[in-house]
Amino acid sequence: MRASEPELPRPESADRHLDGLLARVGRGDQAAFEAVYDNLAGPVYGLILRVVRDPAQSEEVSQEVLLEVWRTAARFDPARGRAATWVMTIAHRRAVDRVRSAAAATAREQRTAEVPVPHDAVADTVEASLDAERVRRCLDGLTEHQRESITLAYYGGYSYRQVGERLGTALSTIKTRIRDGLIRMRDCLGVS
Amino acid sequence: MALLRRRQHALTAVYALGALDTAAEVARFERHLAGCQGCTSEVHGFRETATRLGMAVSREPPPALRAAVMGEVARTSQLPATDDGARYRRPVPRRTLLPRLAVAGAAVGVAAAIALGVVLVNTQNQLDQTQQQLGQARRQLATTKTQLAAINAVRTAADATLVAKATTIGGTVTVVKSASMHEIVVTTHGLPPPRAGKVYQLWLIGTNGNKIRSQGLLGTARSGRTGPVLVSGVLPGDIFGITVEPAGGTVQPTVAPIVAIAA
Repeated sequence: MRASEPELPRPESADRHLDGLLARVGRGDQAAFEAVYDNLAGPVYGLILRVVRDPAQSEEVSQEVLLEVWRTAARFDPARGRAATWVMTIAHRRAVDRVRSAAAATAREQRTAEVPVPHDAVADTVEASLDAERVRRCLDGLTEHQRESITLAYYGGYSYRQVGERLGTALSTIKTRIRDGLIRMRDCLGVS
Repeated sequence: MALLRRRQHALTAVYALGALDTAAEVARFERHLAGCQGCTSEVHGFRETATRLGMAVSREPPPALRAAVMGEVARTSQLPATDDGARYRRPVPRRTLLPRLAVAGAAVGVAAAIALGVVLVNTQNQLDQTQQQLGQARRQLATTKTQLAAINAVRTAADATLVAKATTIGGTVTVVKSASMHEIVVTTHGLPPPRAGKVYQLWLIGTNGNKIRSQGLLGTARSGRTGPVLVSGVLPGDIFGITVEPAGGTVQPTVAPIVAIAA
């Protein structure tokens, strides 16, 4: 499957640039923060919206996340991953915090019931960028079970235990599906 | 032990997707991670993969978000690199406004200073009035608090509480408080646009001897809605208020607030 795809070079220099910017943010540089915002506010908001679903709440959570990036930028360690990963990990954690509480989950189920999310929700929200297209194709390359588990866990914000409950599947099976699926995604995306 | 280790190792992907079940489970896995080189590089790759999933659903954020975030950044100090700050400390971000104010202050002539004194006396009177109304507002709030519990159930965040209140000129102001963080989040709905040359200014009004602190100006409404604005540095007994002020805002409120909510 990978052989049929042209190997797109990762924009490493852009990544480095972002790492450098975030390091400057860690030293209190507001102009650098604005540049980080312009690069990552879209991905941050998009991911949070995908998990939280409610636009007003997503905006609120996005603001919290971006402020946390500002406050804790000095703790970013480029040796442990790139800036985008650091920021997106914070965004996902905050989004999950917002939806995991019992009351929130109920409210979200309600919204889901009211506003049906298309089955292929990823394709629906994917921007027409090459990277996004590639992610979609790689997701298509997973088994149905793997895709379902990974999508529920990451985009749905469900814990693997909740994923198991929703699908009526044993926890150990879910664990394996997520692991095997993520390995396949990683290799398909060419993540080193 | 070996079995336990293997079981933890199988969780690298789940951990990287942020899908472990409880904080305790995360803590247990991170203890394992600290001593497991293989897991660390695996988590690294899985996290990167998850990031690609996240980047793929990028969406244009609402335009108001940028101004709201930048406004917060300008008045939010940063944390040191480590929890105890032992490794190295960064200088606190400079408040560039202060020197400029000092220069401006030096430039103010004697006549202007006298005029300012008159304004301040008037302001003081209005302030007393404001405080009185705030006292009233506090009493009203006591009754509002019983409604809080019900609103809370709807509201999502675990330690957050929410107060929604109509302003004296129409529209609603909603405040979500987080006691643990000394912060509140403010949103408004249906507030009439300020008249020409006027702005909405946000305040934290201290009781117990704490001062009135301006929290900046409210941004332009988008589909009748502003915020959410994060207000930091909330002290016990503080009251959050909004006043209508001349463009650019004022140092102290000059009129009674259109809404006051215990922060």
